[in-house]
Amino acid sequence: MIMGQPWILLLLLLLAISPPSHSSTVHNNNWAVLVCTSRFWFNYRHMANTLSLYRTVKRLGIPDERIILMLADDMACNARNSYPAQVFNNENHMLNLYGDNVEVDYRGYEVTVENFLRVLTGRHETAVPRSKRLLSDEGSHILVYMTGHGGDEFLKFQDNEELQSHDLADAVKQMKEKHRFKELLIMVDTCQAATLFSQLQSPGVLAIGSSKKGENSYSHHLDSDIGVSVVDRFTYYTLAFFEKLNMYSNASLSSLFNSYDSHLLMSTASYREDLYGRPLSEVPVTNFFGSVMKTFHTDFAYTGFSMESEPHISLVSETNSRRILESENAQTEAANDNAKDNCPFHAWLKVLEDKLDNENAEKLVLYGLGSMVLLLAISTLLSV
Amino acid sequence: MAEQETAADPILAPSSSSSPLSVRTTKPGTKRLLVTLSILLSGLVFLPIFYKSTEIYRSPLPFSSISSLSSHLHSLRPPIPTLLHVLFIRSHPIDSTDSQRISDLIILDLQSRTKSQVSVSISAHSGEGLESLDLSDDEAMDAFLLGMVDASVYTVVVVERAVKGNAKVVVGKHRHAWVVGLVEESEVARVISGVFWKYFVNGGREDGEMVGGEEGDALPVGSDGSLVLSFSLLNADPSDGVYDWDIQKTDRVLAPILESLAPIANITVESQVLYHAPKSSISNWDDRLHSYALSTSALPFFVNSNEWHLDTSIAAPGRSKVLQFVVYIPSATEWPLVLQFPNGETSQTNSFVSPMWGGVVVWNPPESSRNVQKPHFGKHIISTEDLQKIFQVFVGQLRVLFGLRSNNLDDAEIGVTKFLATPKGFTAWELDVLHRRHTYLNLLSCASTLDSLSKLVKSLPRMIIMDEIGKQVKLSVEVASLAQNYASHGVYNASAVSSRNARALAEDAFYHPSIMSISYSSFEHTIAIYMPFFVPVSLQVLIAAKKELTRYKRERAKYLASSA
Repeated sequence: MIMGQPWILLLLLLLAISPPSHSSTVHNNNWAVLVCTSRFWFNYRHMANTLSLYRTVKRLGIPDERIILMLADDMACNARNSYPAQVFNNENHMLNLYGDNVEVDYRGYEVTVENFLRVLTGRHETAVPRSKRLLSDEGSHILVYMTGHGGDEFLKFQDNEELQSHDLADAVKQMKEKHRFKELLIMVDTCQAATLFSQLQSPGVLAIGSSKKGENSYSHHLDSDIGVSVVDRFTYYTLAFFEKLNMYSNASLSSLFNSYDSHLLMSTASYREDLYGRPLSEVPVTNFFGSVMKTFHTDFAYTGFSMESEPHISLVSETNSRRILESENAQTEAANDNAKDNCPFHAWLKVLEDKLDNENAEKLVLYGLGSMVLLLAISTLLSV
Repeated sequence: MAEQETAADPILAPSSSSSPLSVRTTKPGTKRLLVTLSILLSGLVFLPIFYKSTEIYRSPLPFSSISSLSSHLHSLRPPIPTLLHVLFIRSHPIDSTDSQRISDLIILDLQSRTKSQVSVSISAHSGEGLESLDLSDDEAMDAFLLGMVDASVYTVVVVERAVKGNAKVVVGKHRHAWVVGLVEESEVARVISGVFWKYFVNGGREDGEMVGGEEGDALPVGSDGSLVLSFSLLNADPSDGVYDWDIQKTDRVLAPILESLAPIANITVESQVLYHAPKSSISNWDDRLHSYALSTSALPFFVNSNEWHLDTSIAAPGRSKVLQFVVYIPSATEWPLVLQFPNGETSQTNSFVSPMWGGVVVWNPPESSRNVQKPHFGKHIISTEDLQKIFQVFVGQLRVLFGLRSNNLDDAEIGVTKFLATPKGFTAWELDVLHRRHTYLNLLSCASTLDSLSKLVKSLPRMIIMDEIGKQVKLSVEVASLAQNYASHGVYNASAVSSRNARALAEDAFYHPSIMSISYSSFEHTIAIYMPFFVPVSLQVLIAAKKELTRYKRERAKYLASSA
């Protein structure tokens, strides 16, 4: 006991000095957000890229409920697909990526910049189910993979809107602020991919892109049966690296990053590690691309009860305080409605709307036109 | 209008410029000037009104109270009970010098463990009615003492009776423990302070672990304060016979547990039976054990997330937490399956937990040990005894997930010989510990969320803030201070409820769907949008006004010159 005293005092002292920080939390779960941003049949390869990554992270142990899969179009059911309900990433057609258990969370027109940013920041409507949410915490490692068409500091979604590097950096900053991740790996396969990371500033973020500024990212090969390119080079060589691994493997991130050959890619895979605290050679790829569960053996059962003769106690239901808040809101809204009714402008507008709804709407429009002509006449008269 | 003005100008201009020295006899008219100026003026008046109309609505947030709350909470220590009562049951009364000496001993021992001040009160009781009690019957003793002590104060009762063997130290189901035996004073003081500090204050965990530590920081409760307990029965291979359970029977076990955890989380329960759900790690036949052994080092790969469709998402709203409790029935080719430690011993409970995820029990059907060769087709129901055993393990796992020990058998270091278990799953003093811990961590999380929100709001001046967010923030701050109030008065269950609500409200405000970064445009953006509308018009108006003014001045000068 006397031996233990200084140790305990030291511990207490340490606790007193250091405020409870969140950075000390350990990595305890893995999430993946996989996004294909392109529509249309000729962008088949982008969906194949994303599904290949999906298959890989699932094989390495990230469960489906922790993968958010966003596919902007449905190539498997496209009328031009000569292999209905199948998607391949190689012309040898050995592996159907659209086989069993593909759980698409956001499909087609749901894949928008807004939804992507909502997934990252966690700001959803209440009705959005758990499976569509990124429910990560301060111990999460998150992989964000995006593929599509991009340019200098932007990535095109659905061919009509863009995710800017500022938007991405802002979302990541908000995630960091709310402790939604411990470490984040952003992987982008698009033209000038590295420009998308230029605005990032949150610690714990690692980013890799398929090409530098001014470079294009090319597809790997064309499948003459399907008629389009089926995979991009950067993703192809990423998959080639992962095919050799299983979930027990401890290959490091630096070995992945060094495996990219700029001659084979025809672009320079470039990564940004200045925000990431750890040396890449010490981080196994399974830290992002897989999931290893932490388990403890249960030593004892709790034998305090039996199922036979205990009196049944009914559950006490609790009133939720937020419900009170909701009803308060309803009240204020009702009050607002009342206020609207009292305001003379609103009353006048209402009368006008009622008039327009009736059959003498035409008459009203006529009067309106007449008064405009009158006004014009007066103003010209004045200016003469 | 402006164009008309400018167009009208050249018509007049020649008449004046062709003969610059011509004499003007009439006073120049002000009509044209007034019309142009009135347009300019109305434009200028309209400008601030227009600017006001483009302004974004921001509900005022109580920044000062957020920062004062968070600075207060970051310096907050976990609430600690400061009252300890010691009751001596002895034939003769205790005099003041004795009681002073004993309380000094206890306080001295406590000071070696903590810096916080604990006040110790001591009283004596003759102990009528105790004679009829069997001192070895702990349950009866617990019930007897409950009627004798103040249930809201942590009490250690010292029964000074001679017993066979060593003195007995029992920690009861409520807020008291007792020592039976004739023990010398210094030893009694050591036991009392040990029981109080390690168990009543820290819940059996080592000193300081309660605050942070490895799995200590995160709570197994969703950020909206709700928790779903999902019980799943997994048949690895139903072709060898299907096992089902009578899950309704477990209601009797679960109901009191859920009731005792009600202040901590809003708990719902769901259950399901799944078929064709094999595990993903591989076991080996062990001749010595006559069973298939699975090393505990392979447990991280036991859960087969591709085949185990555990998350049903039906009962669980958006941000709640789901804890999975899984009964795994191995296929007949693997009967019986046991978990083996690296040292060769097998697991007693055949189960494991994963923090923040839940627990798994591997259950071998009774048929598995009798006849391995013959598969048992058809449907089987797990017997009530077996189900009870399984749920006893589950409750143990639930306790571990909440940061307690699965079962306190004894503790030689402090000298405790026995802990009483309760059908509620958590004893009163354990619940106190949980309430205090959750209050503390909820308040910390609430403060950091509000802090983040106010930082965010300040850094984005054009972000829309709806009234609802302002209301949630205000309420959250109020409820948080209420929780602190409760905690400081020792009402731990109420403080747990309030702190949970404060956290949920803060999270609701932060994650409000109206806050979306793409919807707030910058000031440059606004200018870029409105410039094409206003620049062409305003240019014309300004030029017309200027021309008209110079024309009028000139004409007026002419008139003045000629009239002079």
